[in-house]
Amino acid sequence: MHLLIGLIATLVVVAFLRALLPVRPALLVAPGLVAALALFAVYRHDLLRLEFWAGATGFIAILSALLIVMHPSPMVSVLFLILNLFCIAFFYLMLQAEFLAVLELIIYAGAIMVLFLFVVMLLNLRAEEGLRLGGGLERYAAWAAGLLFAGLMILAIQRRHDRPYFEPGAFVTGFGSAEDVGSLLFGKYLFAFEAASVLLVAAMVGAVILAKRRLE
Amino acid sequence: MDASVARVLIEAAVKIVLLLGVMLTTIAYMTWVERRVSAWIQDRRGPNRVGPFGLLQPLADGIKFLFKEAIVPPHAFRPIYLLAPVLIFVPSLVTFAVVPFGPTLPLFETTIRLQVADVGNGILIVLAFSSLGVYGIALAGWSSNNKYSLMGGLRSSAQLISYELAMGMAIVGVLMSTGSLRLSEVVAHQAAHGWNVLWQLPGFLVFLTAAFAETNRLPFDLPEAETELVAGYHTEYSGMRFSMFYMAEYANMITASALAATLYFGGYHVPGLARLGLPAWGEALAQVAAFCVKVACFLFVYVWVRWTLPRFRYDQLMNLGWKVLLPIALGHILWVSFLVLRGWA
Repeated sequence: MHLLIGLIATLVVVAFLRALLPVRPALLVAPGLVAALALFAVYRHDLLRLEFWAGATGFIAILSALLIVMHPSPMVSVLFLILNLFCIAFFYLMLQAEFLAVLELIIYAGAIMVLFLFVVMLLNLRAEEGLRLGGGLERYAAWAAGLLFAGLMILAIQRRHDRPYFEPGAFVTGFGSAEDVGSLLFGKYLFAFEAASVLLVAAMVGAVILAKRRLE
Repeated sequence: MDASVARVLIEAAVKIVLLLGVMLTTIAYMTWVERRVSAWIQDRRGPNRVGPFGLLQPLADGIKFLFKEAIVPPHAFRPIYLLAPVLIFVPSLVTFAVVPFGPTLPLFETTIRLQVADVGNGILIVLAFSSLGVYGIALAGWSSNNKYSLMGGLRSSAQLISYELAMGMAIVGVLMSTGSLRLSEVVAHQAAHGWNVLWQLPGFLVFLTAAFAETNRLPFDLPEAETELVAGYHTEYSGMRFSMFYMAEYANMITASALAATLYFGGYHVPGLARLGLPAWGEALAQVAAFCVKVACFLFVYVWVRWTLPRFRYDQLMNLGWKVLLPIALGHILWVSFLVLRGWA
């Protein structure tokens, strides 16, 4: 884990110095790159460990999640959301659930996010318009929800006892394969699956009727 | 480092570098082939000045593109404007990683699988990455901050989304008859039971049409409808960034041709090759050559169709995608399930 911590520390130092010192970015990025390469050379054995990749993906996921909320341009937020979905797909991959990883890419990154992108493009939101929260009540609700979630996370981390953070071997082989997911969908959860499909068709028909009524 | 891990990494790296080299060279020479074949179809000569038969033309073009000034329009949204050509080029190259271009090759006392990644969900990975190509187009159109670019980007992405569905439905037929998502098993199944195109002709035709639309080629090249949209989503691009869009188009064509060959024309399989009694390495190389020939045939069809069919109007394009291709693909799924249930596929 030394490599990951070192890389994150380098990144944070470079980012802070860039914000504080009024020098050309190259003057700070170049030493940062040298430091990162030195870290890779010293701790190259970490590169073969799954913990390193899990940690690095987690770091990118958190960073991109923060940028989704904090970036002023809604378009860039959408792109960071796509990056975040890629990180989640990578987590599925590390849990040996290849099928779920690919589905994550097809459904979320490939289909749903394209619609998001279209909506943002067509509404043509200007910068910071997407960011603004409503009145005071919404702000307090957001704070409360955030604090509750932080408390939940702290509780979960305390409760894990001495189990390792990441256990790739905890799942049986074939977990999340196409065959497994298929037999669950069409066996154990058949009713829920079909009910969801009927619900989706109803929503689609409703959307078409609402859209067409205005045309007449 | 563990010796076996090092071996796997080195083997993968060599395959990736070789495949990238072949892809990029083919992309460069496809521009030459396209111009020569179109000249031949139109009874002209085509580029024949640079080198013998004009063979050095792609090199001259590349140098010209690199030396042109790469302009970033002042009103463009710079980070996304610079990112878009990359986003459009990468998925087209990545998809090729799961396509098997040959069987195993015995070399240096080991056997090497002639495929970068033989993954269990190969077909799904193809669909996932082909759906990611939309981002490059939509973002290029949006970030240029130009109404023609935006309109072109919107049209092209709507086209990609519509035809993706028909393409996926056509591939379901192959998936059902093979019973596996692994592309090497698709090839093995065809070697044992005859090529898919024999039993799944409607599926193949839907796939081919959708592949033309997915690669933005005539008769579906709305972005290049000059009289309406100037040059569509790449209006504001110049220099090497502009040529990235063309390279992506050719890379997409190569990948689509390789997929058509793999899914419907037996991949690297050649009927009757095993009876010739070639040594193992010779048979493997002959199969790789057969795969290349099949891909080359599809690439020729791409160029041929470009100079044969006129361009669709936008509403015709959408009608064809949703009201013709999708029902055919759905009917084709019924036909294949009938075949599978009777045990004929």
